[in-house]
Amino acid sequence: MKKSLVLLLSLFLVTTTMLTACGGGTKAEEPPKTGDTPKQVEKADTSPFEVTLRHTQVGADKKNRLAILQDVVKKVQEETPGLTIKLDGVDSEVNRKEKLRGEMAAGNPPDIFDVFGSPDAQMYAKEGRMLDLTPILAELGIADKFPNVLDPYTVDGKVYGLPIGASAEGFFYNKEYFEKKGLKVPTTFPELEDLLAKIKADGKTPIAAASKEGWVPLMLTNQLWARYAGPDIVKKIAAGEAKWTDPNMVKAFAKHVDWEKKGYFKKGELGFAYGDITGQFTSGEAPLWFDGTWKSSVFKKGQSGEAMIGKVGFFNMPPVDGGVGEQTALMRDSNNGYGFSASVADDPRKLDAVKKFIKELFNEDMQLRGLAEDGVLPSMAVSEDKLNATVTDDLMKDITKVLSSTKGSFPAWDSQVAADINTEFSAVQIQKLIGGQTTPEKMAQDLQKVTDEVLANKE
Amino acid sequence: MNKALKNPTVFILFVLPALILFGMFFIYPIFSSIYLSFTSWNGVSTHMKFIGFDNFTKALGQERFWVSVTNNVYFILFSCLLQVPIIVIFSLLIANVKKLKGLYKTSIFLPSIMSTAVIGILWGFIYEPDIGLLNKILSFFGVGKIYWLSDENYAMLSILITNAWQWTGYYIIMVLAAILSIPKELEEAAAIDGATAFQRATRITLPLITPIISVVIMLSIAGAMKAADIVLVMTNGGPAGSTEVMATYMIRYAITSFKYGYGNTIAVLIFVFTLIVTLIYQLLIARRNERIEY
Amino acid sequence: MVRNLKKGIPHIFLLGYLLIILFPFLFVLFSSVKKDNNAIALHPFGLPKEFVFNNYYEAWVNAKISTYFLNSLYISLLAAIVTILIAAMFSYAVTRMRFGKLAAALFGLVLIGMLIPNNAMMLPIYTLVRKLGILNTHLALIIPYIGNAIPFTVIILAAFMRSLPSEIEEAAVMDGLSASGIFARIVLPLTVPAIITVFIVNFLSNWNEFLLANYFLSKDTLRTLPVGMVQFRNQYQMNYAQMSAGIVYSVVPVVIIYAFLQEKIIEGVTAGSVKG
Repeated sequence: MKKSLVLLLSLFLVTTTMLTACGGGTKAEEPPKTGDTPKQVEKADTSPFEVTLRHTQVGADKKNRLAILQDVVKKVQEETPGLTIKLDGVDSEVNRKEKLRGEMAAGNPPDIFDVFGSPDAQMYAKEGRMLDLTPILAELGIADKFPNVLDPYTVDGKVYGLPIGASAEGFFYNKEYFEKKGLKVPTTFPELEDLLAKIKADGKTPIAAASKEGWVPLMLTNQLWARYAGPDIVKKIAAGEAKWTDPNMVKAFAKHVDWEKKGYFKKGELGFAYGDITGQFTSGEAPLWFDGTWKSSVFKKGQSGEAMIGKVGFFNMPPVDGGVGEQTALMRDSNNGYGFSASVADDPRKLDAVKKFIKELFNEDMQLRGLAEDGVLPSMAVSEDKLNATVTDDLMKDITKVLSSTKGSFPAWDSQVAADINTEFSAVQIQKLIGGQTTPEKMAQDLQKVTDEVLANKE
Repeated sequence: MNKALKNPTVFILFVLPALILFGMFFIYPIFSSIYLSFTSWNGVSTHMKFIGFDNFTKALGQERFWVSVTNNVYFILFSCLLQVPIIVIFSLLIANVKKLKGLYKTSIFLPSIMSTAVIGILWGFIYEPDIGLLNKILSFFGVGKIYWLSDENYAMLSILITNAWQWTGYYIIMVLAAILSIPKELEEAAAIDGATAFQRATRITLPLITPIISVVIMLSIAGAMKAADIVLVMTNGGPAGSTEVMATYMIRYAITSFKYGYGNTIAVLIFVFTLIVTLIYQLLIARRNERIEY
Repeated sequence: MVRNLKKGIPHIFLLGYLLIILFPFLFVLFSSVKKDNNAIALHPFGLPKEFVFNNYYEAWVNAKISTYFLNSLYISLLAAIVTILIAAMFSYAVTRMRFGKLAAALFGLVLIGMLIPNNAMMLPIYTLVRKLGILNTHLALIIPYIGNAIPFTVIILAAFMRSLPSEIEEAAVMDGLSASGIFARIVLPLTVPAIITVFIVNFLSNWNEFLLANYFLSKDTLRTLPVGMVQFRNQYQMNYAQMSAGIVYSVVPVVIIYAFLQEKIIEGVTAGSVKG
């Protein structure tokens, strides 16, 4: 156990080399300077002021994460006379794709906001919309506490955001059901397909699915093509060195379609929002669920999967025969975090509040609390003993076991491609594929067309 | 004659606020949209590139754009071909009953004063495949589960039905008001002459209410071109973009994909299409009737 | 007998229509007192065996209905009133004051506004609101609502004012009233019936507006009812019983107001139908 945790930790040190998808763009004006001003804050100034904070901890399964945030907010407010932090919760996908983008265009993002690392934060940073955190990290002495997870938030060596945690993607499975039916965790791809067929034959929906938002089914597709076409294929595609029409890519798409046709996913999935997927698994309807490790929070006390605590396991997608590249690689990244508005630098008191916020949220205790209460893997270096003491439940142990036994990883596809490609793939193509309105070949061609346009415009 | 009413200061003071607002929300947007529609701009950057008609050729060559145009056309056709006959029939029915007239009027009008967003949520529940009302009713007739909002074949229809459910009553009341304003003597005279109820309806009432039907059609078209909130709330354009209308397509590109310039191109196209539809309407329908006085 | 039957046939159709309109509301009302999705699925049509009112408590707490409701109310009221004031001044100036061609030209200009589909104007209005520095405040909705309603309101009010006999002002001028005095003391009071009409139409369209409210405001405490409800739906999607309670909250106030003012509302909305 101990060994695996050390491994896990060291893996975080070497994990995820991030490709800057939006590179090459023209550089805007110098990002605003920040730094030394707060020392001049007059001690006497305790007049009320407000800092706005956009978070995405809304809805039933994010209560624990919200509680952590609220505690941090409380502490910061206590430390700062006159400060009120206004919390504003928005659904994560809405925040990422609509709200924050609109606000960034308008130039008035909230002071503190939940932001997706690559390519979003990088792009905002390039346009001078985000606060440069490099001096703050140095001042707080935590600059070296984020081993290799800051890439998605880094532009030209400067850090513009901090990941709240790290995550990986794989299969959650219903242990109770598996035991009752004598099923085993698959170690080869044929075993997995056999497993799916057995569950289907048992009258269950093998895999939980909610595909109203395209990124949800695409987690699985992404994992499939990483097996068939290699973990770094998207990086190559984004750079113009490979194509979506790569035969192995098409094979992966075809596998997804094959499973759709065999009825391995929840019927009517295109009409279900991400919030519905949890229920399909916790109700026992679907024994398998491909999702991110952040969803392990569902199986904590007080959450909707409370009844299943101890009955849920986690396994990695088994290797594909003849697949390209490392066959144990899984999606791992640290793209969810907080960024800060560049305008904060103009107000010494706000800047001071932001510093305190960073100090209170990004520390060992909070990282461990996130892991214990919310199942979010740490993004900061955390001492081994404490980590050991924290990982106590079976599911977390399963997850750490998977992470320590795998070699290699890849960042989520949507952190590597331009927004156009993301929209085309997640809002249109994948749903067409699931609905049977396109073929793997046709989809690959359509995606390549959009990608070619993006590549052509870059020059 | 009276100087007071020729006081230019008062005149200017009185027209200015409205004109300023009009300039801000009608004139400026049009020119700003037209200008930006020729640019490639992500909405955030300080760099804006002028690219001529590229955005327009791109939009007109995009399959998805035409899907959204087609969906707007569906909205128009659905309301003109299906809703209008229903509106006429039911307003005639209500006009001719004596009892419960008030109840009918009050109830069928109710949905049209409600927020489209809330109606969208309500109907989303009705269309829910597992526990929704519609599938439960259909299962009585042995119809299998239909995935209303997630099946490409039904999603658009589902939205159109919801839209019709909300607005049909509103138009019925409008037409009803026109029918009730027809002088009673006309009908009575016809009845004495031995005309049946059906004859009275087709020979007397219908011709007299064609102007208002024409207004209904015009309003339906205007409503169809504006439809966006119901789509956003019910399907958000999905599945696979099959229920996207022009306005939602514009939002998707301008905001979600960081293509502000392109989004403005779509805005200009919406404006152009609306003008075309209005023109067609004027040529086909309005010209035959007398000009409608507002 | 046959006569009675004949009389009954329209009622059958009309009652059928009534059922289609009212049943969805009933369905939501019934669902809102059921325990969970399962209870709804088992007995979709009738009342539940045991009433669960917890949904109403949960929905009230989770959805912040009271905040959204008050926001919607005050934004809609304020915008509708200011619209009427500004549009009435304009209409008075172009119909009752003696500025012949200039007045006609200005009136014609504003009429063009009716041709412009306002949701296509969303992006530039967004830019405008941002430049005014009012994004994320209620003014970001109030001012565009006022602006967007001007052409329609002017059409209705101008038509009404034009129909007023010209003798009234002549008498007023004799009494020594100024142009603005005539507007405030004589024309405006006479225009009240038309004002009520446009007020109802503008209020309702502000009350129900979704697009601008969704994209121009991002703070939860500022949201209006339609946007707040959609967000609530997105967050608690799988809990239909609770969602139904939320729908009931947002529908009931409208129904109550409608019950009291139905004649006026129907009259107003249909008369103001040009707005579409």
